[in-house]
Amino acid sequence: MHLLLDMLIAGDRRLIFAYLFLCIFSLALLWSVTEPIRGPYEDLDPGVPKSIFFRQVIWVVVGCLVMVATARLSLHYLANIAWLLYLLVIVLLVLVLAVGPPVGGARRWLVLGPLRMQPSEMAKIAFILVSAGILSRNQGEHRQFVPTLTTFVLMAVLFVLVLKEPDLGSALVFPAIWLGMIFWYGTSGVFLLGVGTAVLSAVISFYSETVSENPLPWGIYLVILIGFLYLSRFRVLASGIILLGNIAAGIGIPYFWVRLQTYQQERIMAFFEPTRDASGSGYQVIQSKVAIGSGGLFGTHYLQGTQKGLAFLPERHTDFIFSVVGEELGFAGAIALLVLFLVIILRGLDLAQTSRRPFSAFLAIGIATYFAFHVVVNVAITTGLLPVTGLPLPLISYGGSNLLTTSFLVGLLVNVSSRQYES
Amino acid sequence: MNEPRLIRGRLFRGTILLLFGILCINLFLMQVPRHDYYKSQALENRQLGFPVKGPRGRILDRDGNILADNLYIADITLPPEAIRDGEPNLTLSRLLTWFQLPEEETMARLMEQKTRGHRRLVLINNASLAQCTTVEEFRQELPGARVDARARRRYVYGPLFAHIVGYVGEVNQADIDLAATDQAYRPGDMIGKLGIEKAFESRLKGRDGEKIMEVNASGQIVISKPLWRKRVRPSEDVTLTLSVGLQDSLSMLLDGRPGCGVALALPSGEVLAAVSSPSYDPNLMTIMISPAEWKRLSNDPAKPFFNRIIQATYPPGSLYKPITSLCGLSHDLIGRHSFLEPCGGGFYFGNRWFRCWKRVGHGELDHGEALVHSCDVFYYQLGLRLDIDLLHKTALACGLGQPCSDLLSEEVAGNIPTSAWYDERYGKGKWTRGVMLNNAIGQGEILVTPLQMAQLAALISTSGRMNKPFFVLEPAHEPTLAQALPFSEENLQWVRHQLEQVVDIGTGTAANLAQISVAGKTGTAQNPHGNDHAWFMCYAPADSPEVALAIILENAGHGGAEAAPVAGRWLHAYFNWVRQQDAEQSLALVEGKKER
Repeated sequence: MHLLLDMLIAGDRRLIFAYLFLCIFSLALLWSVTEPIRGPYEDLDPGVPKSIFFRQVIWVVVGCLVMVATARLSLHYLANIAWLLYLLVIVLLVLVLAVGPPVGGARRWLVLGPLRMQPSEMAKIAFILVSAGILSRNQGEHRQFVPTLTTFVLMAVLFVLVLKEPDLGSALVFPAIWLGMIFWYGTSGVFLLGVGTAVLSAVISFYSETVSENPLPWGIYLVILIGFLYLSRFRVLASGIILLGNIAAGIGIPYFWVRLQTYQQERIMAFFEPTRDASGSGYQVIQSKVAIGSGGLFGTHYLQGTQKGLAFLPERHTDFIFSVVGEELGFAGAIALLVLFLVIILRGLDLAQTSRRPFSAFLAIGIATYFAFHVVVNVAITTGLLPVTGLPLPLISYGGSNLLTTSFLVGLLVNVSSRQYES
Repeated sequence: MNEPRLIRGRLFRGTILLLFGILCINLFLMQVPRHDYYKSQALENRQLGFPVKGPRGRILDRDGNILADNLYIADITLPPEAIRDGEPNLTLSRLLTWFQLPEEETMARLMEQKTRGHRRLVLINNASLAQCTTVEEFRQELPGARVDARARRRYVYGPLFAHIVGYVGEVNQADIDLAATDQAYRPGDMIGKLGIEKAFESRLKGRDGEKIMEVNASGQIVISKPLWRKRVRPSEDVTLTLSVGLQDSLSMLLDGRPGCGVALALPSGEVLAAVSSPSYDPNLMTIMISPAEWKRLSNDPAKPFFNRIIQATYPPGSLYKPITSLCGLSHDLIGRHSFLEPCGGGFYFGNRWFRCWKRVGHGELDHGEALVHSCDVFYYQLGLRLDIDLLHKTALACGLGQPCSDLLSEEVAGNIPTSAWYDERYGKGKWTRGVMLNNAIGQGEILVTPLQMAQLAALISTSGRMNKPFFVLEPAHEPTLAQALPFSEENLQWVRHQLEQVVDIGTGTAANLAQISVAGKTGTAQNPHGNDHAWFMCYAPADSPEVALAIILENAGHGGAEAAPVAGRWLHAYFNWVRQQDAEQSLALVEGKKER
């Protein structure tokens, strides 16, 4: 305990306070969510058991310890074991596919006696560490291609393994972190433009193919892209590669689509056409939006949410916990929560800019991207801006693996912060 | 800090702030300008429980023939809002014209359903395919109208089992209030109203499940997938002791004449056949019976709804004489071969002439002959030796004056008078021993049910070593033993011998069978309302009884002439049935061996 107090005095106070506030926020929300349901549906909805709250209390205590410990680790040492960690994660991810017990049609958990862990969470730490190591060692104007490709391969391996579980939400974290770190590394704007337009091409092609059932939107998009490339006067080679990448993404997406799990396809379709599947994932989003919208400016007040109480909100203690914030604490509470996350993310960007050590800088940017992706995507899903993929809200959603991972990453940021002027 | 890093930092920060900005603006739009919309959504976000009904359990006969099962039919229903202030809404008025329904009558019917609190108003019961298709096809033009499938009770044999099986009908408020807590009924639900349907309601109904659906403000289902389900406890079948074949032959023999017949298997006490005649079609009761039809049935002087098996009470007439004899014998008030004054066709008591049914008289006969030939004069004299309370005790020991079975709540006890009863009826000291004359021959105020008479024959034949009558094989229950008869075996043996004589040479020869000896007793019960009721009770085979039977034909005349032949023919059918069952059983055995 006195370690934590020490840190509060000596460490990065902004970070640590934001972290602790978020943890307390989470416990308060889980207390509300686990309150027994009253009213006509109390015998129909088993509700979320109170034990969920008490378990999370334990996880928060452990998380704090992890955070404190990580803040004091030698970064040098971490950089050295990054590869080992990465290999261990690969082994665990393969293991989880082989022997993980299927839970709800997916193998995401490794069970060891009373302990359950999600290797995909550990993989996020390992990927940030190993990429930071590679990128920091190879800085220089003319050697960009090889590290970019190396980290891409490292990312792709994790992406594929996690996607296989299947866990699309967690899998997408890796490309996001990779993009953030590559951007910081200094990959050319043309390259990023290529990747960005390729993703856009894939989305529009998908829309043409499955929703509008008409190739016209994608055709129009390609014409606009060609015009843009011509006008922006990129080199012919670069323009050609971008165009080819776009066409490949557009043509490749149907092949990717058929490989998705049925439920994932349904969720994505539900996003494009919510009325088409009002019962499954569309239902979740509709209910979540109603809960958030009915919260108003200041919410229905703590413990008073009716949507939550009436069992209208599935997954309300895990991935959809933000809708409970929206309902019970209103716009004010939701903004407060987002600001707390923003404190951590912006602090990460600050540290990336001020750190003298490239390794630290890349760590900070990776962690900031991790938070940004999780928070933005989770909130976007609960407010109906993105299709449903299972992604927890870090530090807030119930669950040990993600809390420990996030605590570790916050610990790393504190660590970086305490050494930002070392060189 | 180098230049590109600064730019990248700004770009990165800008992207993050832009994304968070989008989230915040979206949240703001949802929670502030559109708050009212979502708030009303949240309020309208109602969950409604819809009952999930399992089909009602079937009722089977002892051989597994289905007596009652379910038929699926479609109703065209409307929400209660279809009528507002007595006026039809657009949907309803369209349907009224499209289907050319009689407007006034239909509206009155729907109004009644509405005031009763039905969740859906049934516009057309058992709709035709064309009507269903119309409603489905023009759903846009008919908001609120729906085709609802529903199970309707079907009584396969119609009137044949009506009085035992009973029928289901719509619950009324009393049913809803009285129902056990785990049996929630809603207006419009069906409940067993009579007979087995009522007695085994809980088993036959099971427990309705519930699915919680999300509905919008107008009660329409928004999402087809239920949010929660409460499981159905499946209903279970009930298997009766009755047999379609035996029931059918008994019913044919009674041929719609007012009367009744009950047959018991011995010593198991299983009711093999129980017909109350005339009967009605219980299928009429499950649909909306037309008022005219209802009036016709309930005003029928033959009273088809009347369950004569257990609800009708008749004077037993001469069927009572074995009891009188047993009473005298067991209290040593008369011997088995005693002679009394000879019968000259009647008997003076006080200054009143009590006649024998045989106007010319029986002449001199001993106790046994008097029973065989049912001599009233002999029993008048025997009656005078007895005490009213002694006779009452004996009758009660023979199962009279109380319901035979605790299963059917409709069953009545009948009446066996005591001195206290007469005191109350006529005033203390205002009645004479003269009542004993009537009591001795089963007339006067004595009242019994046909089931009690079948039981009486059964008790005599088995010396009381049998189970009380019961109607149901499944659910199995521990059979209740009949109370032991407080008579010596010699006396019972003597009575049985006389009853055999009744069929051989006495009043009941019409019940004689070629190969099997039958023992029985005829009765001709006088009643103040009309001609005599013809009674016959019997059991067979006389030496090792398997079956006991009681027949009554109202106002038909003489028991020996009217009821005994019916009994004889039914016994004939019964023994054929037994033979067939045995044949089937041995055939099954042979086939079983072959398979092995």
